[in-house]
Amino acid sequence: MTKQIVSQEALSHRLLRKTLHGSGVKFALFWIGSLIICAVFAPFLANSMPLVMSKAGSISFPVLTYLTTEDLAVLAAFFTILLLWLAPLKFSFKVNLALFVAVIAAVVVLASLFLKPPKLVIYDDFRTPSYTEVDWRIMPPIPYAPQDYLRSYGGTGLEAPLSAEAANQERLHLMGTEENGADVLSRMIHASRIALSIGLVATSISMVLGIIIGGLMGYFSGIVDMLGMRLVEIFEAIPTLFLLLTFVAFFGSSLYMMMVIIGVTSWSGYARYIRAEFLKLRRQDYVQAAVASGLPLHSILFRHMLPNGVAPLLVAASFGVASAILAEATLSFLGLGLVDDPSWGQMLNQSVTSASFNWWMAVFPGGAIFLTVFAYTLIGEAFRDAIDPNLSREAGVQ
Amino acid sequence: MAAPLLVVSNLCTYLDNGSEVVKAVDGVSFTINKGETFCLVGESGSGKSITALSVIRLLPYGIATHPNGQILFNNEDLLQIGDEELRSIRGSQIAMIFQEPMTSLNPVFTVGDQIMEALQLHNPEMTVEEAHERAVQALDQVQIPNSRERMHDFPHQLSGGQRQRVMIAMALACEPDLLIADEPTTALDVTVQAEILRLMRHLQVTTGMSMLFITHDFGVVAQMAHQVGVMQQGKLVEVGVVEQVLNRPQHAYTHQLLEAVPENLARHKNPELAKPLAEQQLIAEPLLQLRHVNVWFPIKKGVFRQVADHNKAVDDVSLDIAKGQIVALVGESGCGKTTLGRAVLQLEKPTSGSIKLQGSELVGLSAREMRPWRAKMQMVFQDPQSSLNPRLLIETTLTEPMQVHGIGSHQEERLEIAAKTLERMQLKREHLWRYPHEFSGGQRQRIGLARALVLNPEFIVCDEITSALDVSVQAEILKLLLELRAERDLTLLFITHNIGVVEYLSDQTVVMYKGRIVELGATAAVCGSPQQEYTKKLLAAVPRLALSS
Repeated sequence: MTKQIVSQEALSHRLLRKTLHGSGVKFALFWIGSLIICAVFAPFLANSMPLVMSKAGSISFPVLTYLTTEDLAVLAAFFTILLLWLAPLKFSFKVNLALFVAVIAAVVVLASLFLKPPKLVIYDDFRTPSYTEVDWRIMPPIPYAPQDYLRSYGGTGLEAPLSAEAANQERLHLMGTEENGADVLSRMIHASRIALSIGLVATSISMVLGIIIGGLMGYFSGIVDMLGMRLVEIFEAIPTLFLLLTFVAFFGSSLYMMMVIIGVTSWSGYARYIRAEFLKLRRQDYVQAAVASGLPLHSILFRHMLPNGVAPLLVAASFGVASAILAEATLSFLGLGLVDDPSWGQMLNQSVTSASFNWWMAVFPGGAIFLTVFAYTLIGEAFRDAIDPNLSREAGVQ
Repeated sequence: MAAPLLVVSNLCTYLDNGSEVVKAVDGVSFTINKGETFCLVGESGSGKSITALSVIRLLPYGIATHPNGQILFNNEDLLQIGDEELRSIRGSQIAMIFQEPMTSLNPVFTVGDQIMEALQLHNPEMTVEEAHERAVQALDQVQIPNSRERMHDFPHQLSGGQRQRVMIAMALACEPDLLIADEPTTALDVTVQAEILRLMRHLQVTTGMSMLFITHDFGVVAQMAHQVGVMQQGKLVEVGVVEQVLNRPQHAYTHQLLEAVPENLARHKNPELAKPLAEQQLIAEPLLQLRHVNVWFPIKKGVFRQVADHNKAVDDVSLDIAKGQIVALVGESGCGKTTLGRAVLQLEKPTSGSIKLQGSELVGLSAREMRPWRAKMQMVFQDPQSSLNPRLLIETTLTEPMQVHGIGSHQEERLEIAAKTLERMQLKREHLWRYPHEFSGGQRQRIGLARALVLNPEFIVCDEITSALDVSVQAEILKLLLELRAERDLTLLFITHNIGVVEYLSDQTVVMYKGRIVELGATAAVCGSPQQEYTKKLLAAVPRLALSS
């Protein structure tokens, strides 16, 4: 009976459960999970303004007035996914996706209409009496914004972790400060947004493009394949980095533009993998049987062929995430990344360009990039094993 | 009685795959006399190949162990001697030929080089000229025409049958006392098989060598063997003179195997299941009508890849198939029978011609227009390994097509139909919740049949569905097909190269050769009194089990 219970759960659930089996992937998910939490709640985790304060009997939420549209969109996305996942109502995947997109769109539209965050924030104001002399207040765990250069302390500059506390100052910098005096931990937390989003979004764009184009090439072969391969060659000839530089020069630097450009130029590798797999699979008897049963094209391509050909793609994708993160870091290194927003690559760059070697500027962002890339690789491998019933049965997972 | 050449006594071969020890050969004893052929028969996995490899000591060290037994070759125990002595015996005194002629020759050396290398290795004093002459002789011996020119050919320039001849020439060049042949004709067409078997018999008479011949085909046994041994699960269950074993089997397993041979099945066929149609009826209401069907594959040449010629896989085929008939499509490999089967289902687009199912034209329909017809025509494939999607449960494989074609109003109903069909295939309901890799080859073919049947088709193309299976499993599936035909009034196009199966199963027989139909008619007529030269040749080549009982 157990077999039947096991097997009647949906394919996606079974894959998820099998993927989660194993300690390596649990660590990876823990790391990615904490990154997601950091990214979503960054304004509440590391900011210079109080979360809540009570002054002369009236309670105010200073942090909320400084929330941007992006902050709200990320929060809305997180809670929508959480609700759709945990809610007892079960919708089909299409309905879920539609709900998700609708909620995000509504939040973005409403926020851009009604939210008017001040353009210029002077963080030192939050250390003036109007914010400090209150009845009570709750500060974020790390009471420094990423762009808070602590000018009220007189331009601290580079400081090793915990050295300010050692010097009996009232400041505590768990990961030290960077050359402008901003708190490194705070910048790390805010930078996780860029790392996660650029990796996921750019890789998703390129995977979707690659699977569709490569799949059609492999399945139809002939003239479609020939034209597709020429398209692949054209896109492989485009140097992503120089295209990015050109776009940055014309339109200024924007995270979304970078995501789209990285995504649109790096699908060719995925398309090649999928094409090769599909060319091999289309002559398999079970694919022929699916055609002979009159199954629709999307089922043949995505249900019968894709799961059997996806393994090399997943490994490639985990490296794709890493290379997208690195592409952003490279741009930041060249001074063409986002100007004021922190990113791990830009922080690494700071450690290289400063006169003396400051280990905390290299170890923390470098370690974060390493762990993130590592985690994606572990998840990719676990997913590959889960998708293959032969392997998972041998490992004793039902 | 000739003196014994090879005496195998109580041979045990255990294979250690890391986690468990498999007793692949378990206490096998037999004797091969000089100048005689000993045939080992059995189903796949019975240990016959392992026995042969044990004799020539080709099993990998560390994995294979021989805890027991003796292999006395010319009174020398092969299990005891060292590597150096073994090497001098291998090739020069014991030679081996393998099943797959495509992979057993090295593709980068010419045929002549390979034979000469073997010769000079075992006769170091032989000069190049002598070796060359000897190699030409060896090729002459295996009746390869123009042997002197053929010496410079590479393996890919030869046909499968010629390659197997070259393998035999290589094995015989050093004049071995014992030739081990591991299913040497299984990968070949019947006509080529007949020539190779005739050649081997002829060579045995002229050279006086002994043979250890491994096969699963009782027809081949009847032609080749002096002595025969039947193997089952690593044990030799019956040994004896060939006439005695084939005609009066002592062991129950031998009896069962012989019963399963198609020629014998035909004898016990339930007459109610046979259903020959009158000639008029056949023409009056064909379920499927093929007219001048061509499937040509272009051969492209030159810089601009212009079409130089066509490979005419199916060439001007016209055929009527009446409802409820089982039509056998026979021919050698490469004659276009599979392509024709696929063209009928529109899996291969015909270049020209007309294919009508129940009077409606199928050629030229788009994938969308074709979809309603898909449920009426199904296919069952040859290779049980690749015919089921390894990533999907049997349940999904069976219910998804039903859903697409609107069979069953909800999933529970479809599951019920799928379970019923599996039970009809003598499988269990629980098998719905398993993955394909948990099944044996025969079970997978049943599932493949179930996948075709859940759509309630009128017409099924069976493409060599039993050729990868053991005879006993084949017999069960063939019986099942006949019963299903009677129950559901199915029409089958049964593609095969096995004449025994044709005689047992089919009502009509179509013989194909080089893309064309050379003869068609009622099975009894075509197989009993063939009209065409090619059909006569094909039928004469089939190794028969001439039984008296």
